Amino acid sequence: MSTDAHAAAGQLASPAADGGGVIHNIGYRRYEGERLGRWQIVRALTWHSLRAAFGIGRGAKAKIFPVLLFALMCLPAVVNAVALATANGGGQPIVNYDDYIPSLRTVAMLIFIALEAPVLVSGDLRHHTLPLYFARPIHRIDYPAAKLLAFFLACLAMIEIPLLILYLGIVSQSHGASDVWAQTRQLGPGLLYGAAWAALLASIGLLLASTTGKRVFAICAIGIPLFLSWVLANVLGHVGQQAFGPNGFGHPSALASLAGLISPFTLLGGVLQWLRAPELLGPDDHRIGITIVGQYGSVYGVVFAVALIAAIVGLVVRYRKVGVA
Amino acid sequence: MSAASTTQAVDQHMQPADKAVIQASQLTKRYGAAITALDQLTVTVEPGITGLIGANGAGKSTLIKILLGLLGPTSGHAAVFGLDCVTRGFEIRTITGYMPEHDCLSPDVTATEFVTHMGRMSGLPATAARERAADSLRHVGLYEERYRQIGTYSTGMKQRVKLAQALVGDPRLLLLDEPTNGLDPAGRSAMLDLIARIGTEFGISILVASHLLGEIEQICDHLVAIDGGRLLRADSVSSVTQASAVLLVEVDEGLEELQAELGRRSLRPIPYQRGLLIQLAGDETYDAIRDAIADLGLPLSRLEQRRHRIEELFRADPTVSGEVGSDVWSADAGQAPGLSTGAASVN
Repeated sequence: MSTDAHAAAGQLASPAADGGGVIHNIGYRRYEGERLGRWQIVRALTWHSLRAAFGIGRGAKAKIFPVLLFALMCLPAVVNAVALATANGGGQPIVNYDDYIPSLRTVAMLIFIALEAPVLVSGDLRHHTLPLYFARPIHRIDYPAAKLLAFFLACLAMIEIPLLILYLGIVSQSHGASDVWAQTRQLGPGLLYGAAWAALLASIGLLLASTTGKRVFAICAIGIPLFLSWVLANVLGHVGQQAFGPNGFGHPSALASLAGLISPFTLLGGVLQWLRAPELLGPDDHRIGITIVGQYGSVYGVVFAVALIAAIVGLVVRYRKVGVA
Repeated sequence: MSAASTTQAVDQHMQPADKAVIQASQLTKRYGAAITALDQLTVTVEPGITGLIGANGAGKSTLIKILLGLLGPTSGHAAVFGLDCVTRGFEIRTITGYMPEHDCLSPDVTATEFVTHMGRMSGLPATAARERAADSLRHVGLYEERYRQIGTYSTGMKQRVKLAQALVGDPRLLLLDEPTNGLDPAGRSAMLDLIARIGTEFGISILVASHLLGEIEQICDHLVAIDGGRLLRADSVSSVTQASAVLLVEVDEGLEELQAELGRRSLRPIPYQRGLLIQLAGDETYDAIRDAIADLGLPLSRLEQRRHRIEELFRADPTVSGEVGSDVWSADAGQAPGLSTGAASVN
């Protein structure tokens, strides 16, 4: 029986064992080497996706926007370093570790997640590549988990590498260990807060991106609601202050304080105020991108946690259904 | 669960004592209340190339997804190399390559990059993934083209890439879902040759799903036929075609006389086109026909052995064929097909 011959060939792992009298040593080799486990495969997928988020391995055109946006994010830190160096120790830092420059961070990260989150997930959806992943030795949750981790790390790099440049620029002009220590103590909370940005934006961005397989639609699905909600939050906040705020009551109205909950960016701004220094901002502070949380700081904390968890759960649920129809 | 223990478990199940590659018993899968994709399917697949035949919607893809542990069965049990598909799908996927029916490739990467990445996802370290991706693409016949973006490929080349990505992890079993989909006749033939070579020379067991019986006849050792999620027949191709060997006799005149004469010699001739079909039992059948023609003095113009295509053996039951396509069949193999088109009974 030919069946037995196949079985024998399978056991001996040798094509020549077929014994058909034909020399067909075209060199199929069994793989006898090490096989990676689940976590190493997830790590490989994470690394692959992280590179893709910055256009690495995707051709020159794909690198233009990530590189430009990253340079933009680093610009204040670099300018700061140059300014401090030329001021010969007499200057003050022009940006802080907490919110850096909120409007710059908002715009740059908005464009970054709108352009790059679809890169991570749209292609596999559109080209039906997911079944190939699910047919491999990973579990169903591993795919969205790896993608989320990768995009979180990408956003983290966008936000925190500029902070580290800022830190190095300041520290290089510092005098004495106490200065360095003071700067380091300020950097820590800044990095933690940056991680909050990266976590919320990465999870919301990927969830929105995973709703459609078409990249252009995904870009719109992320960019439009995030931009409009940010504009709306600022408009409402402004209106709230103008109508009821500084002159009438002495502290921000509820509308002004709660408007920031609408957009992830103003939500993050509110979280910072709640955590760090609500007293830093007066009621008449109208700066764009600055949320005035007033007495509702803890609401921002709760909404942040709920939004983050909901986005992550939504992403996992999305990938429970897709791909094996 | 380390990969090493998986491999050992597989080796144990590859022993002659337990050679079944796939075992399904009473396997049932329902989608909601209305749709039954698999219905009490019980079948055993042995090493070698096995054809999984059925019309579109017969349950082929559902069976493959259950075997990969991607879908849970509604009831029943399935195992690959003795590993339960529900509880040990992870280990099954370590040693199984899957080629989906539909398009599944990213057009904007090269075949090398794509297959290398899929090799990594199969658990190969980076260097091994690159080497095996190059090997796999060479085995499926992609050479210089593999450095081009997949979007520029023809359908045939894309099918080869799909096969290469299934092969890259050095599987013990390949599950191929309609691998000749969308290919022209030459492409089909090339793909079938490739599958046959992988099955025979590489020593990898293959379950190949198709709705085209003629293809399966060419390359498979075994045949599993399902319809409406139920098993129609599971047998080796050689035994099926052996049982079906028939002789076609044509004479220039006196066909009716010959039919009557052969009938008297208890050969049960069946009119077929311009000749007669006679079930081949052995050399004595040839002798009987020769004697009958000689006795009648008829001018013999043709005497040939016909190797029946499986389509004819599983020819559609007229009562059901209205519901399914003409290139598929859905007859219960136990029933003798009608005689008018010359198909011989297989029992």
